[in-house]
Amino acid sequence: ISQEESKLNRLFDHPLYNIRLPELTADEKLLDEQELMDYYRRKVARWERQQKFFLEAAAASNISLLEQPVNFDPDANWLKFHLGINRYALYSRDDQSIENLLKDMRRAPIIGADYTQDEKALKGACDCSQVVKPSGHHLKLALKFQDFGKAMFKPMRQERHEQTPEDFFYFVDFQRHNAEIASFHLDRVLDFRRVPPVVGRLVNVTGEVLYTTYNEELRSVFFTSPANNTCFFAKCLYVCKTEYAVCGNPDLLEGSMSAYLPGLSVAPRISIPNPWIRSYTFTGKEEWEVNPSYCDTVKKLYPYSSGNRLLNIIDMAIFDFLIGNMDRHHYEIFTKFGDEGFLLHLDNARGFGKHSYDEISILAPLTQCCMIKRSTFLRLQLLLQPEYRLSDVIRESLARDPLRPILTELHLQALDRRLERVVRSVSRCVKKLGEAKVVVTDFVEASGAA
Amino acid sequence: MILFRKFRVLLLMVFLVACTMHIMIDLLPKLEKRAAGADSANSGCSCAHEPSEAPRGRSKQQQPPQPPQQQRPRSGAPAEASWPNKHTLRILQDFSQEPNSNLSSQSLEKAAATGDKTDMIRGAKQRAADFESQRSLMKEAPNGGKQAHGGASRLAALYQHPLYNTELPPLTDDDTLFNVNTDIRFYSKATGNQEWHHEGNEEEEYNPTGEAAAESYPNWLRFHIGINRYELYSRHNPVMEALLKDLQAQKITSVAMKSGGTQLKLIMTFQNYGQALFKPMKQTREQETPPDFFYFSDFERHNAEIAAFHLDRILDFRRVPPVAGRLVNMTREIRDVTRDKKLWRTFFISPANNICFYGECSYYCSTEHALCGKPDQIEGSLAAFLPDLALAKRKTWRNPWRRSYHKRKKAEWEVDPDYCDEVKQTPPYDHGTRLLDIMDMTIFDFLMGNMDRHHYETFEKFGNETFIIHLDNGRGFGKHSHDEMSILVPLSQCCRVRRSTYLRLQLLAKEEYQLSLLMEESLLRDRLSPILIRPHLQALDRRLRLALNVLTECVEKEGYSAVVEDDMEHRQT
Repeated sequence: ISQEESKLNRLFDHPLYNIRLPELTADEKLLDEQELMDYYRRKVARWERQQKFFLEAAAASNISLLEQPVNFDPDANWLKFHLGINRYALYSRDDQSIENLLKDMRRAPIIGADYTQDEKALKGACDCSQVVKPSGHHLKLALKFQDFGKAMFKPMRQERHEQTPEDFFYFVDFQRHNAEIASFHLDRVLDFRRVPPVVGRLVNVTGEVLYTTYNEELRSVFFTSPANNTCFFAKCLYVCKTEYAVCGNPDLLEGSMSAYLPGLSVAPRISIPNPWIRSYTFTGKEEWEVNPSYCDTVKKLYPYSSGNRLLNIIDMAIFDFLIGNMDRHHYEIFTKFGDEGFLLHLDNARGFGKHSYDEISILAPLTQCCMIKRSTFLRLQLLLQPEYRLSDVIRESLARDPLRPILTELHLQALDRRLERVVRSVSRCVKKLGEAKVVVTDFVEASGAA
Repeated sequence: MILFRKFRVLLLMVFLVACTMHIMIDLLPKLEKRAAGADSANSGCSCAHEPSEAPRGRSKQQQPPQPPQQQRPRSGAPAEASWPNKHTLRILQDFSQEPNSNLSSQSLEKAAATGDKTDMIRGAKQRAADFESQRSLMKEAPNGGKQAHGGASRLAALYQHPLYNTELPPLTDDDTLFNVNTDIRFYSKATGNQEWHHEGNEEEEYNPTGEAAAESYPNWLRFHIGINRYELYSRHNPVMEALLKDLQAQKITSVAMKSGGTQLKLIMTFQNYGQALFKPMKQTREQETPPDFFYFSDFERHNAEIAAFHLDRILDFRRVPPVAGRLVNMTREIRDVTRDKKLWRTFFISPANNICFYGECSYYCSTEHALCGKPDQIEGSLAAFLPDLALAKRKTWRNPWRRSYHKRKKAEWEVDPDYCDEVKQTPPYDHGTRLLDIMDMTIFDFLMGNMDRHHYETFEKFGNETFIIHLDNGRGFGKHSHDEMSILVPLSQCCRVRRSTYLRLQLLAKEEYQLSLLMEESLLRDRLSPILIRPHLQALDRRLRLALNVLTECVEKEGYSAVVEDDMEHRQT
C-alpha cells in the first residue's frame, strides 16, 4: 500500500488526530529522568551480581544456562517509552520510540525468564475449588531483554478461527494472545493510547525461556510431549486439571509481548474496582444490571462526581464493547496524576472471543449515563466513514505485526458493526437529552484546539 | 507419723515395681521378635536388599504368602516397583477396590447359610434345581441371534461361523460365580422388598426357588447369574439384548458420584434396582486426542466405552460388561434425583441457557470443563455394573506391561527386549492361561489404541484359571490417524497367542468378515449411533493387519507350535 492509499496514514493526518497538547510541565510527566536512570543502574548491578551467583550454582549442578551479558543503554527505546508517559496518555502520537520498541520486542535477545509478580504473590497457593481463578494462575511469563527492558509473554491458547464456547462464562474464557495485540492497535487507532505497546513474537521456549530462567520452579514445569514438542504449564491450573500445557512446535511458540510499565516503586499505580463490575458468579446480578438509573448513584460518588473520571470509564466501556471484553473488573491509574489521570487499559486478553455476538451489556456505562467525550465521539463518527473505516485501518495496522493475520475477517467486520451500535446509542441519548448534555467538551480539546 | 510415711514409701515402691514388671512383660515378645527378625533374610527393611515387591501382579490385601524360591532377583526391580509419586497414585485410585468390600463371597455365603437354618435343610435339595435353572439362563439361544438381524447381515454370518460356535467345557458348581440363592438373598435384604421384576406387579409373591422365578428376575440379575469361569456372558444370550435395552430405557431413580475416580463418573440406579456407570460425553466424535497429550491426561470418551463392548463381542472375548449409549435428561434424570450435595451444587445455567454441571473429581472437574446439555440433554454411556464386591470379590492385578505414568521415566519393558522371559517365569503367568489372556487383552487394546491399561481384574472365586475382565476402556479410540505400536509390545516380546484368537483375527481380516463393517453393523444398534466415525472404523482394519503381521513374524521366527497355543481341542464336540 502506497503512502497515498494508506487509510491509516490518512487517519493519523486528520485534524482530529493532530490536536496539539500544551507544553508539559515537570509535574505532568510521570518520571524524572535522572531518578529513573539511577534506579535502573542499581537494578542492573544487582542483576549482574545475581547472575554470577546463579551461573556458579548452575555449573555446580550441571544445568545448561546461557551466559548473556546485559547491555544497559540509557537511550534504549523502552526507557524512552517510560520517560514519555504523561498525564494525558501512555505515549504521544508521533513518538518514534514506540515503533522502535515494538521492533525491539520482536527481535531483541531474551536473557531472562521468570514468573510474573502476581503469580509469585500467590506463593503457590492453589485452590482447585475456586471457580474464578485469580489472574496469577494464568500462564504468562516475564521476559527480560538484553537491553534490560521487560515484556510480558502470553502464549497462544486458541486458534484464530476458534470462538469462545457458547457455554463459557466470561470468567472462564481463554486468554488470547491475538486479543492483546489487536487491543493495542485498536486503542491507538481510537487515539486513547492507554494500552502499553504489544507485539507478536515466535519464542523459542527451550532456548529463550528454559535455558534463561533462574527460577527453579519454572524450570520444573517444562517437559517433552509424546509428539516430541517442548511444553510447559501453569502449575496450579495443571494440578487442578483445568488446563493442559502449552507446547511449542517443537520449540517455537507464538505469543504476545506487551511492554512492561515502569516498576511500581518508581511509578506507583492503584487498582480500582470498576463501578460496572460483574458478579463473577453463575447466577448473581450486580445492581447496574437491574437498576436502569444506576448511573445517577455513581454520579454522586467520589471520584465520579467531578472531572473526567466518569467520561474515562465510558471511553473504557466503548473500548471493551468493541473488543467484546466482559472481564474488566478493575482499572488502574498512576497515583501521581491523581483523579484527573487517564485509565490504563491493561489485560485485554479476553477480548475478541466471539465475532458473531455483541455483548451489549458492556456498553451499560454509556447507555445508562448518556454522556461521552466530544473528542471520542467525533473520532468514532470519523471511523464510521468509508474512507477511514475502522476495520480497514485496523487491518492495515495489524498487517505490520509479525504474527499476521492477527484477527480473522469476521472479527474485523464485527468491529464496524459494534462501532455503529455505539454511535447509535449516543444518538439515542442525544434525542432524549439533547446534545449539550450528552456530548461533553473534554479538557483535552478545550485546552488544545480552542 | 513416721510409720505412716514408711508405709507410703513402701506402697510407692510396690507400685513402681509392678509398673516395671508390666512394661517388661509387654515389651519382651516384641524384643524377641526383633532379635529373630534380624537373622532372617526377610527382615523389616526388605526394600533395600530383597525384591520383595516381586509379585508385581498382586494387590496388597489379597497377596498370598509367596514361597521365596519364586522371587526372581532382578536388577532394576526397586526403582521400577516403587510407586512413582502421588500423581500416579491418584491416577490409580480409580482402580483401587472399595475398602468396605473385605468380606469374601465365601464368608458371606457361610454367614447367610448359618443365619437361615431352613436354607441349610433345603440347601442340598435345591442345589440341583438351582443349577439347572442357572444353566438354562446361560444356555445359548440357538437361533435367537440369527433371527434378530436379517439374512444379509454380516454379523449374523459371522456368528454362524464354526469359530463362533465352539462350546464351553461343562460347568460345575465351582465354575459359576453364584449360587442363585445367595445373590438374590443379598439383594432382597439390601432393598427390603422384591419389587424389581415388574413395575406394576407389586403384590406378586416373592418366590425364592424354581425356574419360574429365575425367568422373572430382572435382566441385570440374570446377567450376574450367568457369569462363569470362562466368560461374562454367553454368545447368543437374549438377556444381553434385553439388558442393553434396560440401560437405554429404564427409569433412573437415583444418581450418585463415583468417589475416588480420576474423571467424572456417575452411578445410576434404575427402577428395577439395577445399577450402571454413567460416563458423560466430553468430546465430539470427530475430535482426536491432541498430539501433545500423554495417555494419562487423555479424556475418557463415552463412545469408546460403547465401541469397546461391541469390539470385544465381535472378537468373541466377551470380557467387557454390557454398555449402551443413552441421552439423559440432566434436569429430571440427574439433578432432580441425586441426593449428592456435592454434585447438585455444581449445576448451573450457562450464558447460552444450557444446563451444565461439572461435579467433583480430580481430572477435568472444573467450570472450564463443564458438561453442558442442549439445552438439557446430555449423551453418555451406561455400563452395567458387575456383581457387588461383597458377593463376588474381584482381584486387581498390576499389568506387567504397565506404563510408567511419568512424563520422563520409562517402564522396564520399554528398555528390556527380553522382558517377557521374566514375566513368563513369574506366577501367575508361569502356567495356565493368564499370559494368553494378557495377549488377548493386548490385541484388544491395540485395536482401540488404549494405552491406559495399568491394571486388570479377575473374579477371586475362580482363582487363576479364569478370564480377565476388560474394564475401563474410555481412553480407547482417541486417535484414528495414529497406531500406537508400543501397545503391541507384549505380543511381540512374548510371541504367544491362543489358536482360537489367531483364527478369529485371520477371519476378521477377510473381506467377507471385514472387522470395520462388522463393527459398523453392530454399533448401528446403539441408540447414539453413529458411535464411531469412519476413520476410526478404518483404523480397526489397519491395526488388525498390523497385529497379524506381528504374529506372522513370530511364527516365522519361532515356529507355529511355539507361538500358537492350541486351546480348541477340548472345546470341539
